[in-house]
Amino acid sequence: MKGLRSRAWRAHVPELALLFALVAAPVALPHLGFSHDLLTRVLNWGLIGLGFDILFGLTGLLSFGQAAFYGVGGFVTAYLLVSGKLSSVWLALATGTVAAGLFGLVVGWLAVRRIGIYFTMITLAFGQMAYFIENSPLSNYTGGENGIPGIPVPVLGFGAYAIRISAGLPMYVLFAVVFFAGYVLARRIVRSSVGAILFAIKENTGRVALLGHNVPAYKLTAFVIAALYAGLAGGLLGTFQSYMPPDAFSLETSGQLVVQTIVGGAGTLVGPLAGAAVWLWLRDNLQLIPALASLWKFVLGIAFIVLVIGLRRGVCGEIAHWWNERRNLTALRAAEARTEAIEARSGAVVTEPVAPNIDVALALPAPGGRHRGAGRRRGESRGRRPGRCRSAGRGRPSPECRWRPRAGTPDVRPD
Amino acid sequence: MPSWAVLVSQAFNGLALGTLLALVSSGLTIILGTLGVLNFAHGALFAVGAYAAFVILQYTQSFGLAIAIGCAFMLVLGFILERLIRLFYDRPHEDQILVTYGVGIVLVEAVRAGFGGNSQRVPLPSWGQGATQLGFLIYPTYRLQLIAIIAALLLSLYLVLYRTSMGLVVRAGIENPGMVGVLGINVRRAFLLVFAIGVVAVGLAGMLYAPVVAVTPDMGANFMAQSFVVIVLGGLGSFPGAVVGGLLAGEIISLTSAFNSAYSEVMLYALMALLLVLRPQGLFGSEGRV
Repeated sequence: MKGLRSRAWRAHVPELALLFALVAAPVALPHLGFSHDLLTRVLNWGLIGLGFDILFGLTGLLSFGQAAFYGVGGFVTAYLLVSGKLSSVWLALATGTVAAGLFGLVVGWLAVRRIGIYFTMITLAFGQMAYFIENSPLSNYTGGENGIPGIPVPVLGFGAYAIRISAGLPMYVLFAVVFFAGYVLARRIVRSSVGAILFAIKENTGRVALLGHNVPAYKLTAFVIAALYAGLAGGLLGTFQSYMPPDAFSLETSGQLVVQTIVGGAGTLVGPLAGAAVWLWLRDNLQLIPALASLWKFVLGIAFIVLVIGLRRGVCGEIAHWWNERRNLTALRAAEARTEAIEARSGAVVTEPVAPNIDVALALPAPGGRHRGAGRRRGESRGRRPGRCRSAGRGRPSPECRWRPRAGTPDVRPD
Repeated sequence: MPSWAVLVSQAFNGLALGTLLALVSSGLTIILGTLGVLNFAHGALFAVGAYAAFVILQYTQSFGLAIAIGCAFMLVLGFILERLIRLFYDRPHEDQILVTYGVGIVLVEAVRAGFGGNSQRVPLPSWGQGATQLGFLIYPTYRLQLIAIIAALLLSLYLVLYRTSMGLVVRAGIENPGMVGVLGINVRRAFLLVFAIGVVAVGLAGMLYAPVVAVTPDMGANFMAQSFVVIVLGGLGSFPGAVVGGLLAGEIISLTSAFNSAYSEVMLYALMALLLVLRPQGLFGSEGRV
């Protein structure tokens, strides 16, 4: 019983670590050049990143059009509030998020028909389309190139007890709470059976389709989830800076999100947050150095190329990788010790209960290599999904479990 | 309803934009078709070409010479970039996209660091000044020359691809790179050449277009997005698809803006969405090549 409880506790280590980091950040980080506003921005990027990581890190769909949903969420929220159609910021945020999700449904419906390069090109093209729609035909509603100024801040409570969430620390707390809730939800999605199929689509789309799963529907699900996160983040951006800028829609925004995700580590959920911290910190602090003022993005670009060539795990990915390796090693040692103990009692009947070999719909090869988020999931599910990663009865993991692809996964080329 | 003269002059504008898009997209499409790499640095290379024309013109004062030196520069740049892209031929498409995107950032920022973010003006060549009387409308001479020059360039690219043994290797490489290698042909060298040609094509487009627009470090981003649409319209890796798609895209943008300029860009993307539903493989793409 004690072992079970410790395992349940261990499963929530990432949540607890994040909670600790979110509480500690506004106390510790301002000394390192992170103001509360900067931290709030980092959280905002991290929130889009949660959804984007489910789409890219988990499902393997590289979208260059997330700005479209960020912008739709932001502008719908801003328009409803500024035009007086809605007075509650919370309701407007919810409407904006849903609007972004619906737009994601339409774009995703068209985009998931194609894979690989085509998917990326189509999402980028729809991102540009959204930018131009905001800029010209809808400029009566969106303000065109001027954006929408004067968005009110959220209010908590009613009447005399109402608290206006003002800029600075209160706004940080709001973003931290939203981010934490978003993270818990995203982790639940990743660890659910839907998450397992999404990850399987990344690993081997053909096999998932052959097993009878509706691959486009699952891809569309991931796409809409990403759009919902982006929409919520867009709405929050407007209330945070009380102004909704048209650059939310720009190609630059989508690109920045992709770079941040790679720098922080795809497939880790918190990777985009870490990447955003690196990006925004570099931008704000390198600009203070006169010689580097115009070169900060150049430096970041070179660092990005080096990361893509060599260290595909990113900051958080490397940490998670180290953590998993350590735990796998411990598990392996324990298993070997148990085997030796059993062998020492020569002839004794193996008493360890044999896990029934239930084959869930997916017979996946053990994930490994650079896919960190799912690697962690595998570790936690040990024992609960016996069909997947166990040889018959002995504690030692099967050879398949220790298999690591060397350079990424075998690539199913679309052409 | 706009007048007849407006429509015709917009059709000419569309032709100028369309040939330009065709040149940019054909560079993108031969790289995509042969190497399987979607070059996200394409927009940045467009801007680099325009700035190359700007710099060389200041030293040589001759537009023709500037184009020639600029092409040599783009060729060298293409060879250098291929050394980097080469590391990614065997990696997933996502990695290829990411590394070319990173190259794009570095190129744009290098240009920005060198010349600042303000727009530069490139003068029209001496032989392209003034306007030409076309009977019913007067049209800028340089734009007419632009259409003719790019048409000639596309024709020569067509001849290289379809009438030379090197073009045969490239086209075979588009169909099946593995098989070409098995036949004992040095595919890597063909890849190098194709990448360099693609880079020169987009650089040339940048140089030729520089006198018509404001030259800024970010000028290529929208061109890249439009040339993606062109490739989706025309079909993956299809050279004729890129040319026809480019002309189509140019005409759609220009003719729509004759009616309502607010919708000119939106119309292009709407057409792409429509085509994705009706004919997902693109106009010239074959079924089965996703």
